[in-house]
Amino acid sequence: MRSKLEVLIIVWLMILQNHNNTQAQLKIFPQPLSPRIANYDIDVKLDLKKRMLNGHEKVKWFNKSNDVINELQFHLYLNAFRNNKSTFMKELGGSMRLSKMDKDGWGFIDVTSIKFPSGEDLLSKIEFIHPDDDNVDDKTVFHLLLPKSMQPGDSIIFNIDFVAVLPQPPFARTGAKEEYFFVGQWFPKVGVYIDSKWNCHQYHKNSEFFADFGVYNVKITVPEKNIVGATGLESEVKNNGDGTATHFYHAEDVHDFAWTTSPEFVEFKGKVQDVDIRVLMQPDHAYQGTRHLEAAKVAVEYHQNWYGDYPYPNLTVVDPRRDAGGSGGMEYPTLITAGTTYGLPDGLQLVEMVIIHEFGHNYWYHLLASNEFEESWLDEGINSYTENQIIADHYGTDGNMLDCLGIKINDLQFQCAQYISGPDLDPTIRNAWQYYNGGSYGINSYMKPTLFLTTLQNYLGKETMQKIMRTYSERLRFKHPKTQDFISIANEVAAQSVPPHLDEPEYAKAQSSTPAVSFGSKQNLDWFFSQALYSNATLDYSVDAIKSTEVQKEKGFDFTFSTEDTIAGKEIKEGIEDKDSTTLFLNEINVRRLGSFKFPVEVEIIFEQGEKIREKWDGQELWKKFRYITPVKVISATVDPDHKIPLDVNYSNNSKTVKTQTSGLVKLSAHFLFWVQFIIDMPEFLNLLSFFPSIF
Amino acid sequence: MVFVYYLVNLIFALIIMLPMYFLLNRIAGSTLMMGKMAGRLDMDFFFELLIKQYTTLFSLRGLFLFVPLVYWLFGLFLSGGAYTIFISDVKYSPSVFWSRSAKYFGRFFRLFLWSIPVFAVFYCIQFIEIGVERLIYGSDPYQNIIWWGAWIRVGIGYIGILLYYLVLDYARIDIVINDETRTRRALWYGIKFTFRNFFKTFILTLILFLIGIAALVIYNPIVDSLHAPSGFIIFILFIVQQIYMFIRMMLKLTLYSSQVSLYNSLTPKEDIAELTPVASKEKVTLN
Repeated sequence: MRSKLEVLIIVWLMILQNHNNTQAQLKIFPQPLSPRIANYDIDVKLDLKKRMLNGHEKVKWFNKSNDVINELQFHLYLNAFRNNKSTFMKELGGSMRLSKMDKDGWGFIDVTSIKFPSGEDLLSKIEFIHPDDDNVDDKTVFHLLLPKSMQPGDSIIFNIDFVAVLPQPPFARTGAKEEYFFVGQWFPKVGVYIDSKWNCHQYHKNSEFFADFGVYNVKITVPEKNIVGATGLESEVKNNGDGTATHFYHAEDVHDFAWTTSPEFVEFKGKVQDVDIRVLMQPDHAYQGTRHLEAAKVAVEYHQNWYGDYPYPNLTVVDPRRDAGGSGGMEYPTLITAGTTYGLPDGLQLVEMVIIHEFGHNYWYHLLASNEFEESWLDEGINSYTENQIIADHYGTDGNMLDCLGIKINDLQFQCAQYISGPDLDPTIRNAWQYYNGGSYGINSYMKPTLFLTTLQNYLGKETMQKIMRTYSERLRFKHPKTQDFISIANEVAAQSVPPHLDEPEYAKAQSSTPAVSFGSKQNLDWFFSQALYSNATLDYSVDAIKSTEVQKEKGFDFTFSTEDTIAGKEIKEGIEDKDSTTLFLNEINVRRLGSFKFPVEVEIIFEQGEKIREKWDGQELWKKFRYITPVKVISATVDPDHKIPLDVNYSNNSKTVKTQTSGLVKLSAHFLFWVQFIIDMPEFLNLLSFFPSIF
Repeated sequence: MVFVYYLVNLIFALIIMLPMYFLLNRIAGSTLMMGKMAGRLDMDFFFELLIKQYTTLFSLRGLFLFVPLVYWLFGLFLSGGAYTIFISDVKYSPSVFWSRSAKYFGRFFRLFLWSIPVFAVFYCIQFIEIGVERLIYGSDPYQNIIWWGAWIRVGIGYIGILLYYLVLDYARIDIVINDETRTRRALWYGIKFTFRNFFKTFILTLILFLIGIAALVIYNPIVDSLHAPSGFIIFILFIVQQIYMFIRMMLKLTLYSSQVSLYNSLTPKEDIAELTPVASKEKVTLN
């Protein structure tokens, strides 16, 4: 008969075995969806008072290239906040994401031990490197020289101990504020070996991240009362009996892992299609919980319907704490952060925009793991475009961003407004840290791609564009796509969607079976992408002049009517026929291309009596003159009358009328006059504006 | 007198509006975009105006700041004549109005300068709310506390501003009635009078303030609902706007008149007996 002690030991071993089995058995996907190159088992304990993470990490890395590898490179992103000499802080010079670090709010990460499973110590073999600049004080990248080369197909395992301190408050996406912790880019992370070399950039002010897919098993030990949200699925919570609890998380086929904890989260749960949604709200924003949940449902539903399956079973949405906005508006695999404020009006749909945008990153940054350092538009730009499409479709095109007090602004208008403030500072494709300034990074990563993709959609048709996006999403997921991949897919789908004989007949095209790169072609879009992505060309077409002059109809013998030829060719058309009229008018419309971006445009000319003519112009030359001889006068002309080209930097000059638009001018002026009269007589009204600095 | 006030308001507003009118006409007067403005403000145009014409708009900033200040001082000037008419209880006469405006402007201007610290105190009282908030909720309150606290501060700020106006009004009444040249004394009198008779004095000013807000609440939805009005509708809208401003001026002068009546009714008889010789003298002069 066994003693009690023996029984206890056996039970304890069974429990342990069961626990290990739980971890081992938890499997999200029956087959791997990705190459699973970089895999992490991490055990981390949070020290609240010191904002410190004590972590142990087991990294298993596979050499899936055809090269022999002699070193590994790692990111230590948290060292960007180590001191004011890091590349990040030098580029920043102050605040980021509306947050400023506290005086004692510095953070860092140190690798205290790195060993093979055999126990061989590798700490002496690590060295900080600076692939982007010569800043020897920057410690965000180190390389590890391997004692033995790795052959193609080999794998390697490291045991790494590290200690990290989070910045305060959450600054540049990660950090702590009082009881709230948002933990992102917090562990030593292997870079990406691609194109026969390491791609492991330093952490810059204007850059995000790039990593390989893998499996993550993470144990997070926090105070017992804390709620945890993280990438992946929570398999177990174990109470440690010392006031702490350990949360076990498992994630497959992801390339990052972030987590958050606070005792104050208020949870909201829901489900849409096959995805469980969990929203973690701050207590003072809890009344907006349903709003966040509904926005997340819209995001998941639209993305799955339009761009393909979201393969993960769950999504967590985190509402950052007050004064911790630096962690807001960010994306991680299966976890996103939003951001709101108490009292946000329903008519200001920032919550919806942010959630749809950040969830979209789970497609365009996560599933399609492009290099955010070098081609930021592939993630931010495509995502901003799809966000815009979803918001317009679900919330309408009028006032879908702001609809308050009679003011209506839609998302696209807001993107346009930001774009035109700096449209030509840089080409779209550039290393993230090499743009002219932060504004140019934002414009070229977010706004300009939104506008040129929308312009392209209007040119090709929504159906074709949706096919392009879905093909890109489904074909290249779990890979590292590049710009050329996107262009190739766009050309492939466009060529299938637009048969050669239906391609724009006005534009020159090759007769061979392979479509040539002909300007304006809808079968090969290289002419478009070369301008949109690889140049800083701006698009601006205008109606420069419009007039009508009376001419006499032909009378008598040997009469010939002639007008001046134009360089672009004689453009005289017989317009509206009126044989009885003795008076004819020569109507002249001059259209100009003011920017260097060439794009085919439509011109609509309207005559008295309501007659309309639509002309097409390939937009290549600097100008085009249209001449019409008609018995009626022209009253207006418009380039891009349907506003299909949001990339145009100045829509006000797209039209011209013969007569001044008095009614509009008077109404606008009268409105302005009234407000001036009111405010100068009641200046105390402006005291209302003092509300806003108080809450922001 | 109402016409004078209204015309002054219109002229000063036109000084600011006309450069904008010419700018709008130049950049978009002959465009279909401007034609659309007969309906609703096109936000594309609005953003392009702000961004592309930033330099021009920025160069007008002096006008936007200077003209309202001059208007306010001109209002101070006109109040001398207005108060005299109401105090003397005589029919409006341009010569009296303008001569009295000129007579008292110097004192009113000095009064205004002396009242700036008073304004600062009254306006800054609202920030006591921050101290109270910290005391009760600590240095890290929830956002709902901050939000409601901000509205309370705005409300207290408005009360402070209205109190300041009251003090200034009654100080000016004192200057006119007593032909007072000591502006600090008049200011102190205005403060005492206002606080001694707070509710009665405050209600009048509050009514004028609330009517201003109420009109906006009614006005904005009406304008917003007019998506593509004809020239005639735009004209009617303009007339409605100007009628509103005219009524506002009327209300302002009604307020002055009511303040004078209140002052007379609340000032002790012995004080009035002292004052009467001056008022009578004024009456005789005006007659």
